[in-house]
Amino acid sequence: MKRVSVDIGGTFTDCFLDFDNRRAEGKALTTHHNLASGFMGALEDACGQLDLGVEEALSSVDAVRYATTLGTNALIERKGPEVGLLTTSGFEFSVPLMRARGYGDGLSDREQQDLPAASRPVPIVPRSMIEGIEERVDYKGDIVFDVDEDNVREVVRCLVDRGAQAFVVSLVNAVVNPENEKKVERIILEEYPSHLLGSIPIILSHRVAGRKGEYARTMSAILDAYLHDQMYHGLASLEAVLRQNNYNRPMLVVHNSCGMAQMSSTHSLQTIHSGPVAGLEGTESLSKQFGEPNMIATDMGGTSFDIGLVTSDGVKFYDFNPVIDRWLISTPMSYLHTLGAGGGSIARFDRLWGAVEVGPESAGSDPGPACYGRGGKMPTTTDANLVLGYLDEKNYAGGSIKLSKRRAERAIRDHICEHTGTSVEEAALAIRRKVDANMADAIFKEVAVKGYDPRNFTLLSYGGGGPLHACGYAGKIGVTRILIPPYSAVFSALGAGSMNQLHIHERSLYLMLYDSLERQVLEDFTEFNATVVDLEKLGREDLLRQGVDEKDIKSRVELDMRYGNQLAQTAVISPVNRIESDQDVMTLLDLFSTNYEKRFGQGSAAPEAGIRVNVIRVVSYVEHEAVKLETSDASSDAAVQPTSSRDCWFDGTEGVVSTNVYDIADIAEGVSIDGPALVETPHTTYLVYPGWSLTMGKQGSAWLEQHSVN
Amino acid sequence: MNKEQAPTERSLIEQFLDDNVLFLGPDTGIMRDHSVSIPTEQESAAVVAWADRSEDINLIRNRLQTACNESFDMVEQMGAAPGAKWGDLIAGIFSCQGDLALSSAGGVLIFSVLAQHPQKFMLKYWKDDPTVGIREGDIFMHNDARYGNIHNTDQSLSIPVFHEGELVCIVGSIVHEGENGACEPGGMPGGAESPYDEGLKMPPLKVGENFEFRKDLLTFLQNSVREPKLQLEGMKSKFHACLRIKKRVEEVIADYGVDAFLATVRGTLSDTEMEVRRRLQTWPDGKVLSNVFADSTLRENVLIKIRCEVIKKDDELIIDLRGSSPEFLNRANNTVLASMKGMLAQLFLMFVWPDLPRNQAVFAPITVLTDPGSALNCSPEAPNAQSMMTFFPAFTAVQNAIPKLLFSAGFRSTDIVACWYNMITTFVYGGSNQHKELVGNVCADLNGMGGAARATRDGEHSIAPIFASMADIGEQELIEEEVPMMKLVPHKVMVDNCGFGKQRGGHGYQQIVTHKDTQAWGYMVNTIGAKFPSTYGIFGGYAPGCYPLCKVKDVNVFEVMKDQRELMRFTIDEIMNEQPFPDATYSSHHAGLQFELADAGELYMITQGGGGGYGDILERDPADIVKDWADRIVSKHTIENIYHVVMDYATGAVDQDATDKARAAERKSRLARAKPYKEFAAEWTKATPPEGLPFYGSWDDPTVLHLGTPDNTCPADAIVPVMMPDPKDVEIAKLKAELAALKQA
Repeated sequence: MKRVSVDIGGTFTDCFLDFDNRRAEGKALTTHHNLASGFMGALEDACGQLDLGVEEALSSVDAVRYATTLGTNALIERKGPEVGLLTTSGFEFSVPLMRARGYGDGLSDREQQDLPAASRPVPIVPRSMIEGIEERVDYKGDIVFDVDEDNVREVVRCLVDRGAQAFVVSLVNAVVNPENEKKVERIILEEYPSHLLGSIPIILSHRVAGRKGEYARTMSAILDAYLHDQMYHGLASLEAVLRQNNYNRPMLVVHNSCGMAQMSSTHSLQTIHSGPVAGLEGTESLSKQFGEPNMIATDMGGTSFDIGLVTSDGVKFYDFNPVIDRWLISTPMSYLHTLGAGGGSIARFDRLWGAVEVGPESAGSDPGPACYGRGGKMPTTTDANLVLGYLDEKNYAGGSIKLSKRRAERAIRDHICEHTGTSVEEAALAIRRKVDANMADAIFKEVAVKGYDPRNFTLLSYGGGGPLHACGYAGKIGVTRILIPPYSAVFSALGAGSMNQLHIHERSLYLMLYDSLERQVLEDFTEFNATVVDLEKLGREDLLRQGVDEKDIKSRVELDMRYGNQLAQTAVISPVNRIESDQDVMTLLDLFSTNYEKRFGQGSAAPEAGIRVNVIRVVSYVEHEAVKLETSDASSDAAVQPTSSRDCWFDGTEGVVSTNVYDIADIAEGVSIDGPALVETPHTTYLVYPGWSLTMGKQGSAWLEQHSVN
Repeated sequence: MNKEQAPTERSLIEQFLDDNVLFLGPDTGIMRDHSVSIPTEQESAAVVAWADRSEDINLIRNRLQTACNESFDMVEQMGAAPGAKWGDLIAGIFSCQGDLALSSAGGVLIFSVLAQHPQKFMLKYWKDDPTVGIREGDIFMHNDARYGNIHNTDQSLSIPVFHEGELVCIVGSIVHEGENGACEPGGMPGGAESPYDEGLKMPPLKVGENFEFRKDLLTFLQNSVREPKLQLEGMKSKFHACLRIKKRVEEVIADYGVDAFLATVRGTLSDTEMEVRRRLQTWPDGKVLSNVFADSTLRENVLIKIRCEVIKKDDELIIDLRGSSPEFLNRANNTVLASMKGMLAQLFLMFVWPDLPRNQAVFAPITVLTDPGSALNCSPEAPNAQSMMTFFPAFTAVQNAIPKLLFSAGFRSTDIVACWYNMITTFVYGGSNQHKELVGNVCADLNGMGGAARATRDGEHSIAPIFASMADIGEQELIEEEVPMMKLVPHKVMVDNCGFGKQRGGHGYQQIVTHKDTQAWGYMVNTIGAKFPSTYGIFGGYAPGCYPLCKVKDVNVFEVMKDQRELMRFTIDEIMNEQPFPDATYSSHHAGLQFELADAGELYMITQGGGGGYGDILERDPADIVKDWADRIVSKHTIENIYHVVMDYATGAVDQDATDKARAAERKSRLARAKPYKEFAAEWTKATPPEGLPFYGSWDDPTVLHLGTPDNTCPADAIVPVMMPDPKDVEIAKLKAELAALKQA
């Protein structure tokens, strides 16, 4: 295997290079002005470790895989074309009103609850760029009001006059009958033919999202149109740089659905949050290779904490209505929960409860924690870690940031001790306890609400802050085994290296598997099977377009099912791709009830209310070889010498504890170190709590295990 | 007669009376008390034992809060009622005495103060009753508002949690379920003339044992409503969500011990109350008077006065609503006192201190005064399904008063706002859907109430109801899948539909609905404010306008779309002003529509109101007006005659000099129209309500209430309930009189 995979994050660009089983982790600062520069820097770093030239590597690798933040950046910077929206007459305010609740999408609970201060975000498509088209399709797809060509031409010209550079056409119920959307597209193309300079890109909503819900689908289409140019130019310029360096294959872009595709088969929306999702894919691959069927992936960075789940029963967790920035959309993403907790989370004293609170406000990286000395005055998680002795003032983030313990102490003293009357160290411990508890509560809820017990899971910890806090948050939810994965510093990039080429197509429908009113189980399988055939065809075409061999294409049918008229849509992986018998129907009904009761509790199933399929989803994919990860069962009594010791404070332990500090390079495979201990790596620090031990594995992996409750 | 009784005799009589109760109706003592219960001995001991461990208590509280949020998510996901799906619910933990201590971050806040009463009833009457009892595995439900609730469409479910045989807490969930078998579909019958028209009436009721519903009771409940499927799904979702909280509570007790749990629950209540008192201390002492009016009973046009004085002294607040309208004994617009307190509590939780935890202690330092038998403290025999028609205006009266105290308060946790739009303007529907199911419920888009103007910002259009944050107006495509209604215009912001001001209120939206693919379908609307604004501006800002219900009958709009597309219109004003469909019948009404069947293709049209304005209209920045013009939400008439701005409508350029002149002229004109206050008061003040105005409530003296005419009055402390004639009888009498006059002529 010769493979390069790159994940661009907010601060660092990570590269994982696998070159015939020689592996390297590369890192470079993210260059927001030109992401290709950071990309090449990280690649150079990795190649350098294997004594390879960049051109030599690129000319021989079979694939470059890329998880990008281009789309997120474009959205934050509001770099996009003027989009004109054509929607069904009467629905012109669906997008501006954002389903009412939209004012709070993407905000913290506290901000969502503050109605007097609530404001909607500045719209991507202002009201003046939205026009209604006189047409209507009903819920079952009948056209009750046909499109009038003159009316369309008039509004299209009107929007062009106002400056439209791209069109989104989103008509009500277009996912059950897209005829009117296609008619509008045809009329626009007649007005502004694609071969002429004045052509205008047209996005039809049903092609971006197959799910009912006019607001979320329209927003999906709007974001797709808005990000398209930026994404295209960004990716194309990177591809050009790669070509200049002898890479002659198509680049594979990582999607947020745990798959990837060539640029020509990628919607811009599919790239948002692709980095964290790549980490989840890495977790899935690790789970299989390490024989650890249930894993909770936790990735703690500077401002956020991502939680994902891999389970032995193969259930796929999707976010069907993810929020991108402040916008609710309806293209399915692999489910990740993001909590506003990281090294930059700000601590404060809460008078109401007489206790320390942490986050969700963050000092970010600018000004950053008080100890950064960049103007931050508020105490943060990182300040607490420094005060408690867990961080090295002179060697933080590979020495790239010099920390000031004095500034950290002052911030904690001024903002916490002033109210609590405790010592700085006690206050720092309170901050640690709180931030760890916040993460633990979030993990617990995410796992429990899906019907699982976190104590049956192995916790995977990566990201800059993960291994520093893992013992803290794992301990609080009763998880006693933590795995710091191989190549943890670039684990998301590694995850990208293990992805399959994959496309998801889905469609809303109203299909009663069991009609409790008529007491009838589905007998006519035509609609189900025809829909699957259509969706399989779309997926197959996507993959064939990318040059894959048709015989390598596989597909999986997933159904979103529900009882009666519930909101819940429980995803079921269908054991068959066609329904051919009553037995197939009964199997589906059983599967649904099992999944549902696992999620909501024994006896919660309500088949008496009827059982419906709301969405059929077909996942079409070609399997790629995953990066090989190595487990270890070695055990060694070899002694390891600490490089130094530091005075640390620990929760539940009186006073200061002299704590050994180790260099990870000195710890051989199979060697165990009992806590309390600190293990420093080039990019992060592993904190081993008292009562825990660390055992080194292969490829830089390590197990943290709890032996006694502190 | 008055002979003195010996203590033993008294005791015997009391015992006799206790043993021979005809019926355990709502307990007045429970229903009137909104204070937090005195701690039990075990609670007090636990609080003392954990007094210096606030950090640990905080961690436990967060775990319990997470459990409430987890259960909220479960109900929202599992529920089938529109209310459940779009956030009209709550899940929480009650103390062992029935006080709600922790509740989900999302959902309807009014429940946070209201939910306690049925729990306290259960504890008082059922706990030691040998025929009922409260045991491990029991499931209780309740929906009758007279025992504590907003209205009977809301159903609560709770289960007790025991530790070593002792009750440690109750966990519960309440959902606006909708259909409940009332005289009109959808659960909120505006046409109810007595509590017996209001559908299902469960007092706190044991519906299951050993963690299972009793099949006979489940069948009874399903049999009592039009949507048995909804009833089943609602019960199951609430029950399993409660089981989840129960499990989490037991885990906390296993990890920290029962005392830590009790100390957390009790401490959460007492800490919250202390914090509210600290905050109130920073407000200036004083009194603010705020009168508002409801313009309809939903059956007839009347003027219902809500008289409100807000008095702040030290760390207490008194809300004095005495002098408000008497109750209407055969109309559904009466409010149970506890419901009204719940509504007022959420004013403080949502609009004054949104950072506070959601529990009932927030309202503990606040005293509410009302006249028993008034529309805001009605008797048990008064129907209350549409209590929103009086307690929403009461909310507005207090919201109108608070900014005057809050403006110079030492501590504020959010912006100062004018009055939010306060009505549930949407359609209630009922009938047979396209899947041949009998359904009846309310559309979720009542959640899009217009936001009020803020001190430094305009209000947001149709953003949230006054009773919940993050409420959802839903997606039409999903709604059309389940009901045969087709909203031709679901949410279109209407021009000028807001309170004007330096900062304008957020606009409300208009809706145009029709239906097809059904054998029988009908609509209801439960809204006031078609004649007199239901909400107001502050500090010079305007109230929003009034909008009627409009109908177009004798038309099939689907045929029009097919054959005469050029006739189609997509705003109410175009349809009503142009009357484009040749043979149709056009009419407008006040917005209280009792359930009415309609034919396929007929149009029903309503408009959400906007939020109140803030500050003087002449101080509004012309740039903001240009933006509103670009967004097509302000008319030329308003720009020129209200805001006095001169602009080029094609380019959006403001002529600043001309605007300055126009505004200076208007200021001059104001001075010319002005009068000394005494002169104005002498001219304006009348001794009694005008003849012919059906006015209810006090005029000047709050101790005397008018009952619809200048001469018909009663003392406020001995209210005579109002009985309204049937509007149909009134209409018949009118027609008969006209007929007689014609005959005579």
